[in-house]
Amino acid sequence: MNQSLRRECMLLLLTLMVAFPVLAQDLLIRGVHLPGPNGSKGERVDVWVQEGRIVSIGLGLEAPSASAFDAEGLVITAGYIDSGTSVGLADVSGLGTSNDGEVEGDPNAAGFEVWRSLNEASSMIPVAPNDGVTHGVIVPSAGDANFAGESAMVRFVQGDGFVKIPSLAQHLYLREWNRKVAGGSRGNALQMVLADLDEAMRYSRDQKQYNTSKLRAFSMEERDLKALVRVIKGERPLVVHVDRAADIRKVVDSLARFPDLRLIISGGVEAWRLAPLLAEKNIPVLLNVLDNVPESFDRLGARLDAAAILDRAGVRLAFMSTTPYSEFRSLTQAAGVAVANGLPWEQALRAITTGPAEIWGIEGGRLAVGEVANLVLWDGDPIEITSAPTAVMIDGEWVNLETRQQKLSERYRDLLKLK
Amino acid sequence: MKRLLLLTLAGVWSTLAFSQTPYPSTYEAKAHSPYVLVSRAIDVGEGQGWFSGWLLVENGLIQSVGTDLTAIPEGIEVIDVGDQYVTPGIIDVHSHLGDYPAPGYRAHSDGNEGTAPVTAEVWAEHSVWPQDPQFPLALAGGVTALQILPGSANLFGGRSVTLKNVWSRTVQGMKFPGAPYGLKMACGENPKRVYGSKGRSPATRMGNFAGYRKAWIEAVEYRQAWADYETERAAFEAKAASDDVDEDNKSESKGSAKPPKPPKRNLQMETLVGVLDGDILVHNHCYRADEMAQIIDLSKEFGYQVTAFHHAVEAYKIGDLLAENNVCSAMWADWWRFKLESFDGVTANIPMVHAAGACAIVHSDSPNGIQRLNQEAAKALAAGRRLGLEISDSQAITWLTKNPAKALGILDQTGTLAVGKMADIVVWSSNPLSVYAEAMQVRVDGVVQFDRAAAMRPITDFELDHREEVLK
Repeated sequence: MNQSLRRECMLLLLTLMVAFPVLAQDLLIRGVHLPGPNGSKGERVDVWVQEGRIVSIGLGLEAPSASAFDAEGLVITAGYIDSGTSVGLADVSGLGTSNDGEVEGDPNAAGFEVWRSLNEASSMIPVAPNDGVTHGVIVPSAGDANFAGESAMVRFVQGDGFVKIPSLAQHLYLREWNRKVAGGSRGNALQMVLADLDEAMRYSRDQKQYNTSKLRAFSMEERDLKALVRVIKGERPLVVHVDRAADIRKVVDSLARFPDLRLIISGGVEAWRLAPLLAEKNIPVLLNVLDNVPESFDRLGARLDAAAILDRAGVRLAFMSTTPYSEFRSLTQAAGVAVANGLPWEQALRAITTGPAEIWGIEGGRLAVGEVANLVLWDGDPIEITSAPTAVMIDGEWVNLETRQQKLSERYRDLLKLK
Repeated sequence: MKRLLLLTLAGVWSTLAFSQTPYPSTYEAKAHSPYVLVSRAIDVGEGQGWFSGWLLVENGLIQSVGTDLTAIPEGIEVIDVGDQYVTPGIIDVHSHLGDYPAPGYRAHSDGNEGTAPVTAEVWAEHSVWPQDPQFPLALAGGVTALQILPGSANLFGGRSVTLKNVWSRTVQGMKFPGAPYGLKMACGENPKRVYGSKGRSPATRMGNFAGYRKAWIEAVEYRQAWADYETERAAFEAKAASDDVDEDNKSESKGSAKPPKPPKRNLQMETLVGVLDGDILVHNHCYRADEMAQIIDLSKEFGYQVTAFHHAVEAYKIGDLLAENNVCSAMWADWWRFKLESFDGVTANIPMVHAAGACAIVHSDSPNGIQRLNQEAAKALAAGRRLGLEISDSQAITWLTKNPAKALGILDQTGTLAVGKMADIVVWSSNPLSVYAEAMQVRVDGVVQFDRAAAMRPITDFELDHREEVLK
């Protein structure tokens, strides 16, 4: 298949994915509570959804055309966004053959796009909305390169609409345990990264050279160059997975020479040490709140109140689940632990709704008139780990909350007559 | 009958010439002045519910428990924690702290002697680094005692050790006095992967079982060899004694008979025989229900008891069988699908095992999870209730306290706040079955080891300079 035909096919596929129709809705959610202070039940309202969008929020709304949904006693939030997960990249993460999360043996995987590996029929998908998670960033793992490729934004609905944004952000790993890919030194890794970005800059100025007879005009494959051009032009953010404060500072300083580059720090175990700098430069931080173990020398500053410190300094935050063991189920737990460790409750909620929606540039992160109806109705405090959604709407559609796990539980509850 | 036999054999074992308790515990509870702890919400860990009352603590032990505030003994310091909740200390039956310490480098990786499928001769305590900064993190989560296990690469991984979560320069200074040893065994994917990939047995689940049986056969023979030796020795000594009495008779044999020679010591077999004699408790890593059922038959074949299945992701499928055979299950709340044998993990696993009348335990196997076992119990409880199971908060707390103490063989010493037990106590900021609850104060043997409000906690050597700022 030649290049242009391949591109045509891809564009067609992307169009199909993105344009998956949102069903028209005319629905009145009655008597639901907005979140109040510290997770209490706040103001009681009705929420009117039409054509997949919130058209009105208020008490005693009159919507004769709408079908009513009784949400008495429930609490409503926007759907949660997990800013770092691998759901859908593997059926079973520990089975190498079923895991598509990383590229092996490629010195530069910038052109790798995880969306091409995703399975929209995965039985894991309905588990996410059961924890209030409606959207997730599917992140490529660190492979044998510094640049690991492009993440995708998904919505946790099985079927054609699963991939929401196929090419979301470029990911770069500069943590201590990834340094082996760059000749053993993190300094060399950063130099290689800068050289790659410079090369992409040169390529963006003179693409024709790529196919000339000048051998080795470019060291990278064209798809990698193109991916990095998207980074230096600011068309895709660059998510740098880095933990040590000294390393974060060097990343921030060295990338400053690419004025359009949009930097995001991921993991950022010691980012709290640089909170004023990150706030000043408006660099968001994606946190694994529960990561408080000093498991390597670049994580000596690991602490549970990192989110609170960053927030106080005005750094934009989003939380990730990322544990390979429980999948996205630790997202609300992370938010709750952040609250227990000093983050104001509404800021914790923000870090899994509005915060990431703004960082990733998607709609549906807020409960507001005009917003896409991305809604979760909770049976209690929406951050408390004992609470669960009773209904979830993604992009204006109710989603099926039934999971294979539920079927297994019910089968053995009944077989063993458990009460 | 079997019990009697075990006792007899245990008696024989104890007469062996070598020490059965090398590396003894040197832990000693610190002295403290007596006090009365008063709270509006005490749970003693028996599953009976919260009550408003008090605990009198003296000499590291719970001396009395009361609900009548006017009956508090006079002249003793009263510590009133008000609305803060009080529970027994949390006990984690599955940890690798110290043998996989932080920072986690290869030089620190001391948890898996993955060099042969049977390494029952290794003891986890010989790998534990007491300066692991993960110990105080677990303490801040209310963990007062924990079992450190060898990893799961092998069919027989080695002996575990139960520790008090106190700072000490030595492992011996953390060892829980009187706690029995455990033996780590492993089912399923791990041993067959580790050895199959080296082109040797076990490479399959049937290979795993052949390996277990071969080792147990050897252990039975080893035990018999020692029993025979003891019989011969007793006969020899009896004869020697009678010869002494009959000295005048100048027995012909006198002086010519040699004492019987003891069998050669085998460290592997000593551990396995300890299991057969009921002195060492079996902690069996096993995910799948069908494999657990076969392991139960294996234990019957050789006459030992499986104390607990660990990572029992499918225990919910055989709760009745586990109850019938008196086997505990140590489980995660929601770890799942990270390997094929965890594919059928369900969040209601723990409450379903509980509802089947079996012994349910929340465990961590993780330096992160061990800090939040109360939250894991809360998640599991909520999942159980959504499935329609009726389980109280207090019953869920037994998953963290009483049941793990039972599985470690230390329930007569800790695990509940009963009179006469160690005063291992956690004071929580609110109901511990909440994500917002934090351990405010943790006491081991009545002594405060962690106090959040006072910023008091052990600081390991490793944390000096590196983490003091973080820990303020």
